[in-house]
Amino acid sequence: MTITTRGIAESLAYGGFIAAILLLPLVMDDVFWLNRIAKYLVFGMLGVAIALSWGYAGVLNLGQGLFFGLGAYMVAMSLKLQSYTSLQQGSDTPVPDFMLWNAEPGAPTDLCCINQGSFLWIPFQAQWFGIVMALIVPTLIALALAWPIFRLRVSGVYVAIITLAMVLLVRLLIIDAQPITNGFNGLTDLGWLTIGGFEFDPYLVETYYLVAVSLAIALLATRWLVSTKAGLILQSTRDDANRARYLGYNVAAYQVFFFAVSAGIAGFAGLLYVIAAEFASPSFMDLAFSISMVVWAAVGGRGSLLGACIGAILINTIEATASETEVLQEAWKAIIGLVFVLVVLFMPRGLAGVALDAVAWIAPKRKLGPAPLAQQEPAE
Amino acid sequence: MRKPALTIDGLGVSFGGFKAVDGFTTVVNDGELRVVLGPNGAGKTTMMDLISGKTAATEGKVYLYGQEITNKPEHEIARAGIGRKFQIPSIFRDLRVRENLEVAAARETSVFRNLRLGLRKEERDRIEEVIDLTRLGDVLDTRAGDLSHGQMQWLELGMLIVQDARVILLDEPTAGMTQAETLKTSRIINELKGKHTLIVVEHDMAFVREIAERITVMHMGKLLAEGSIAQIEADAAVREAYLGSGGIH
Repeated sequence: MTITTRGIAESLAYGGFIAAILLLPLVMDDVFWLNRIAKYLVFGMLGVAIALSWGYAGVLNLGQGLFFGLGAYMVAMSLKLQSYTSLQQGSDTPVPDFMLWNAEPGAPTDLCCINQGSFLWIPFQAQWFGIVMALIVPTLIALALAWPIFRLRVSGVYVAIITLAMVLLVRLLIIDAQPITNGFNGLTDLGWLTIGGFEFDPYLVETYYLVAVSLAIALLATRWLVSTKAGLILQSTRDDANRARYLGYNVAAYQVFFFAVSAGIAGFAGLLYVIAAEFASPSFMDLAFSISMVVWAAVGGRGSLLGACIGAILINTIEATASETEVLQEAWKAIIGLVFVLVVLFMPRGLAGVALDAVAWIAPKRKLGPAPLAQQEPAE
Repeated sequence: MRKPALTIDGLGVSFGGFKAVDGFTTVVNDGELRVVLGPNGAGKTTMMDLISGKTAATEGKVYLYGQEITNKPEHEIARAGIGRKFQIPSIFRDLRVRENLEVAAARETSVFRNLRLGLRKEERDRIEEVIDLTRLGDVLDTRAGDLSHGQMQWLELGMLIVQDARVILLDEPTAGMTQAETLKTSRIINELKGKHTLIVVEHDMAFVREIAERITVMHMGKLLAEGSIAQIEADAAVREAYLGSGGIH
């Protein structure tokens, strides 16, 4: 049966991919490249988030950077307070350096009141708080945003426009709240994530493993989620929301739930990115970045979580290599634009679609018994 | 005496002054098969829209086994026990036939309780029964959008049966079908008689004769006549409004 052939092929693909990312450090001992790949794995996780909302729910989110950025900022706040730059400011408690540089003369050097909003940073002195918030804040914001959108049955291009506007809005707010966010400059000079006394230096192989294992878990968990009955119902709402309603499903509830899960994954990716890249910046919420994510997923195949994930990793790895060749440096943007156009025109299901077609092409040859007959109707 | 399944009481809707359905009243008993006839624009499909929650009624009430369902959200009306088949087949085209039927097994509708793999045994059994009834066994792994028109209609019908809707609304189930397909559809519908309450809007008179018990005729949004085929054929008002002088043909 095709189902099982396809199932086997899919299991092999997932297993092979996870084995590859886990075994990579054995063959690659260049820590700088390993760190780079870790960042691309994070982008792969964004690909998963996009495939879940765009491919499975049929909701094109052009503002996924909003959730990535929020996750990044939440954990960056904690790591900033752990940084030596926050601890050597003549105060007993950590205070971010940029707050001191911009403080009014005579302001107390304490988070409570160095400026008007600085108290918001107080709970982030606990690292776990930053980590938990990196997952919870994007999810809650997504719930608050998605609820009215899907209750009012907004769909298609309008959702794309709303999410696009939201990411730009939040980006502006973050730049505007310069006293507590360091505006355009973002949060830099961060400390390292420290768990049980172990410091995750971004250039350690352990940090790579942290990212790779997180990606493997996120990928498998999301794969499980879409194979549940709820995942199937979600896909049905994508095909025909009205039919799903007339079967008794509250379509908005399914859309909101999976939109929020997708946002949570993006927030988790933001968290990991900060650990690997040691900064958080408003550029995470640039429109170009959110759109890039969509391109990665389209090239990899939005209908496949793994496809979109690999698409993201592949494009970024090629981009990194290309941008080191001087000729390609400028041309790269044009090339990726062209690739996107070609994929949309000729491979609408992306690399994953090509792979599945290849499997389907090989599979019937191995099948036993007669090929399925042409559909027959009892002639009466 | 059978108990009423669907009670429609003075139902009406007005679109900017135009009353598409106007004070329509009828009672459909449990297990009955009711055919709704009427010329184009009589308000048949709108009446189904009102029952199933697609359009909000501006007057009147709908009761399902005594429970009021007027103007509730579509999914709540569906959960209460109304299933609807559309004129243009409404199925999940990118899902396989089997997956379509699995989604239709909708006893559990909450997101969180559906976070599980596989189906319950009774759901699987039900799906197998429906596969037999609709003879979709050969195409279970086919993408539903690739089915023939007739198969799509049977799939949608099958989904309503899996859904276990107590009252099923069928809007022109044989539209666009070949004669053989129509015959098969009438067999499926006759199979459902007694187990489900059915309300069928249909134009094809051969098909109506095949399935009809009781007929309701609508005209200009209002109830014109109700009765058996013979009574309707003899009804002067019906002949006047709809059938012409030649009777039902």
